Amino acid sequence: MKISLNWLKEFLDIRLFPKELVEKMNSIGLLVDHWEERDGDVVLELETYANRPDTLGHLGVARELAASMAIPLKDRKFPLVEASESISDAFDVQVLEEDLCPRYCGVIVKDLKVGPSPAWLMSRIKAMGLSPVNNVVDTTNYILFSTAQPIHAFDLNKLRGDKIIVRTARNGEELKVLGGDVVTLSQSMLVIADEKKPVALAGIIGGEDTAVTEETKDVFIESACFDPVSVRKTWKEIGIQTDASYRFERGTDISFPPEAACMTASLLTQIGGKALKGMIDIYPKPRKTKTVILRHHRVSELLGIDVDEGFIIDFLKRMEFKLEKQREGIWRVQVPYFRVDIEREADLIEEIARFYGYDKIPSHIPVLQGINLEVNRRKEIEDRIRELLFHEGFDEVVNYSFMDPEKEKLFKTGLDAVEIRNPVSLKASLLRTTLIGGLLGNIVWNVNRGAEGVHVFETGNVFFKKDEKYFERYSLGFATTGQLDPVFWKKEPEKSDFFHLKGTCEELLRYLKFEDFSFTVEENPFFEQNYSLCLNFKGEKIGFLGGLKRSIVSAYSIQEYVWAAEINLGSLLKKQPKPFEYSPVSRYPGIIRDISFIAGRDVSYQEIKDCIEKLMIPYLEDYVLYDRFWGKEMSKDKVSLSFRFIFRHPERTLLAEEADGFQEKIIKALNTEFGLNLRGGGQD
Amino acid sequence: MVDLKNKIRVLRNNFDEGLAKAGDKDSLKDLRNTYLSRKKGRITLLLKELKDVSPQERPEVGKQVNEFKGYVAQKLEEYAKKLEEPRYIKSEIDLTLPGKRRYRGTPHPILLYKKRIEQIFLLMGFSIEDGPEIETDYYNFEALNFPPHHPARDDWDTLYLSDDLLLRTHTSPVQIRVMEKKKPPIRMINPGKVYRRETPDPTHIPMFYQVEGLVVDLGITFAHLKGTLECFLKALYNEKIKIRFRPSYFPFTEPSAEVDIGCTVCRGEDRQCRVCGGSGWIEILGAGMVDPQVLKNVNIDPEKYSGFAFGMGIDRTAMFSFRIPDLRNFYENDLRFIRQFS
Repeated sequence: MKISLNWLKEFLDIRLFPKELVEKMNSIGLLVDHWEERDGDVVLELETYANRPDTLGHLGVARELAASMAIPLKDRKFPLVEASESISDAFDVQVLEEDLCPRYCGVIVKDLKVGPSPAWLMSRIKAMGLSPVNNVVDTTNYILFSTAQPIHAFDLNKLRGDKIIVRTARNGEELKVLGGDVVTLSQSMLVIADEKKPVALAGIIGGEDTAVTEETKDVFIESACFDPVSVRKTWKEIGIQTDASYRFERGTDISFPPEAACMTASLLTQIGGKALKGMIDIYPKPRKTKTVILRHHRVSELLGIDVDEGFIIDFLKRMEFKLEKQREGIWRVQVPYFRVDIEREADLIEEIARFYGYDKIPSHIPVLQGINLEVNRRKEIEDRIRELLFHEGFDEVVNYSFMDPEKEKLFKTGLDAVEIRNPVSLKASLLRTTLIGGLLGNIVWNVNRGAEGVHVFETGNVFFKKDEKYFERYSLGFATTGQLDPVFWKKEPEKSDFFHLKGTCEELLRYLKFEDFSFTVEENPFFEQNYSLCLNFKGEKIGFLGGLKRSIVSAYSIQEYVWAAEINLGSLLKKQPKPFEYSPVSRYPGIIRDISFIAGRDVSYQEIKDCIEKLMIPYLEDYVLYDRFWGKEMSKDKVSLSFRFIFRHPERTLLAEEADGFQEKIIKALNTEFGLNLRGGGQD
Repeated sequence: MVDLKNKIRVLRNNFDEGLAKAGDKDSLKDLRNTYLSRKKGRITLLLKELKDVSPQERPEVGKQVNEFKGYVAQKLEEYAKKLEEPRYIKSEIDLTLPGKRRYRGTPHPILLYKKRIEQIFLLMGFSIEDGPEIETDYYNFEALNFPPHHPARDDWDTLYLSDDLLLRTHTSPVQIRVMEKKKPPIRMINPGKVYRRETPDPTHIPMFYQVEGLVVDLGITFAHLKGTLECFLKALYNEKIKIRFRPSYFPFTEPSAEVDIGCTVCRGEDRQCRVCGGSGWIEILGAGMVDPQVLKNVNIDPEKYSGFAFGMGIDRTAMFSFRIPDLRNFYENDLRFIRQFS
């Protein structure tokens, strides 16, 4: 809220330069966001905290400054011009909801001349960033910004009957509020009503029909205390937040309404009105002052400093707390009514710390004791995944977890997407069920900005609903399209393809030691037909990869092929990788045999691989497919496959005859199983 | 006789010149023939001329001819060896041509910065904990001492999934989850995503990263909070950074503090500074002593144990550190932006 320096001076003598004042205020937790000098005044923009409604007026800020600077608040008088008539004879207030309205005060001022406010009042209102309205409205605003007590003025002659009733609304009742909007009320809402109908929404806004106008002569001034929760629920329901409701929902000083009513009446009589004698004050259950026990040793224990007893007592007294010593170092502290936030000892300790000065508290490093060091496995694996993918040329991205329902439809993840009830926008109303949508967004963004190749990955949660329960699944997604390397004058750069993607998947699982993983051909709604694999580990599907469907890619306006994979890291992390055990390196020479086969194109590599592995050839250290081609010299349904086999004995030199035997075994098995023949009649 | 000695000298010079010009095996072979050919080689001819030298001088001249022969043979051999070594052919290639580049993936700047923060806390003996992004009202608010209808909730604009479920608005629920699971001493951080109902603009985004910290033990004080955070901020920025603790309010800490660092851009000297708004300070952290009610909510006796907690926006801090004017840059994932942060 805005705080005017001139206004503060009504309450205390401040002889500080603005900059010093701002520093003083910041140091006690009254954060000044910025300030400016204007019309001979200094206006500070104060950030206020939800627990300190007392600082939502100049009086509260003045109290804090007075305590901190150890100077007294000025004594202020509110003289009244009184009429002979007494209010109790003329008017009545009936509070039907004591819980929702624990205190209700009212005064009546008659024979007013509504008109422009005096200059001093106008300048106060302007300092708050408002435009002056008339002397009555400006006065009520002045009291609100001065004391944080909201005040409402009703045109007495527009109230039907000489009575105010504080009651809950009837369902369907209507109220035309200030500004002209008509609000339909419900039973849970507290209203101020005359004998006929509601004339104000309690603590929020007044009604248009009973508002003060140029013609108003007599006013009924309301100065009340309303239940914070009730005010909050009501304004939230009707969607009208006002300076009054902002204060009531945070809690107001229940001891203050009579004084605020008096102040208002005094100001109104100064501009020509006459106050009726006396005041209505309905306060059926006077609230006891709160008391809190404060132990001196707890102050040191929590703050890490020895605060002098004298400081504690002096300062709390300056803050209008009352102390009663119970035993040595233990006080019973009475909390002033305006401090709605103070409930417990810790709250008082904060007050002490605040005024002692956070800057005077020393800095210590706590001693490390008895903590079991734990390595966060998820984090560790995440780091290794990132390391590997950086190496593979993938850039890391972070996308919002939100998903456009239109885009979500494209993916058919089979997961029930979680909806956000109050999304930022309709295009962000779901939580993503796949990371690939975001990655496609990144691809199109970058391709449109001239990227020749985009290779990106993201780790993060996807979300879904199942049987009314909500789940988040920690996932890794990566996608690749276009040129694999930057252009190079010596050689045309390679383009990303399915085997680049698959190689990355393989490398990743190998690197993380999640062996033995396997791939199975499986159709997936994400991918083109025959371009989709499922990644398995220990009998569970943990991911999928393939060439994204044209329909999906086109929906993101991407022309190129996009290869993408998504891995369920949550599941993977629950499994144990292969325990690492180093195997000694053989010191003996190996025997390398290159063998080329002619195979039917219907025989898959996986089948050949399985067949070779089933043979359990001893000392077969490794084998790789190093060439695959087909051409004119072969029949159309054939393909040439060249393997390199490496045989090695761990403890001695392997004999050529032994290698011959193994080689024969492989050739024979592949021939029997799949009809594979040696190409060109023998070894290359 | 002098002639022969002179001849040797001239031949030697000629040979040296010839060798210097010889660029390949063929020219070397020619050179060998010119000098060492058994029939017409120049040295062979020299040897033949030796018989005309007087007997007195013959031994000395003969020695010189043989030395020269040895010299030629040795040089030719050396040069032949040199020719066989692999060489870079200078004249054929422009070495100023650009080298081969490869794409090397780069970390996202926020996650790079997050890692920096984590490493500092790991050095200080903190563990790293995880927590869910979908939270219940209880963990996000109530257990953290936000009463159901308290205006303090308005400071956290919440995205709701149902009456009870929401996207966590801060990483603080992890404090509760960790304290429910572990007994003191606790010393942990939790970095993670949080969500707010904010329309994206340069300083607001609906999803961002925070890091939460919590220390609970016997005898933890506000001085420990100050010491730990000062140590952290100095490690994150530098030794000389100005640090200020101000009283503030969070429902789950009491006393509460906000921590500012001195503006690194204007050093408090520009009242129009865009980064600090002219105040000379940048708000960087929220912190405080764990509220006794929060400790009670997780069955930790506040009379016995105390603790401090803190939370920091990673995006905001990274924004100041890298001097990025617009938070949205982080989530556009423009590779020209990301690739700068290796």
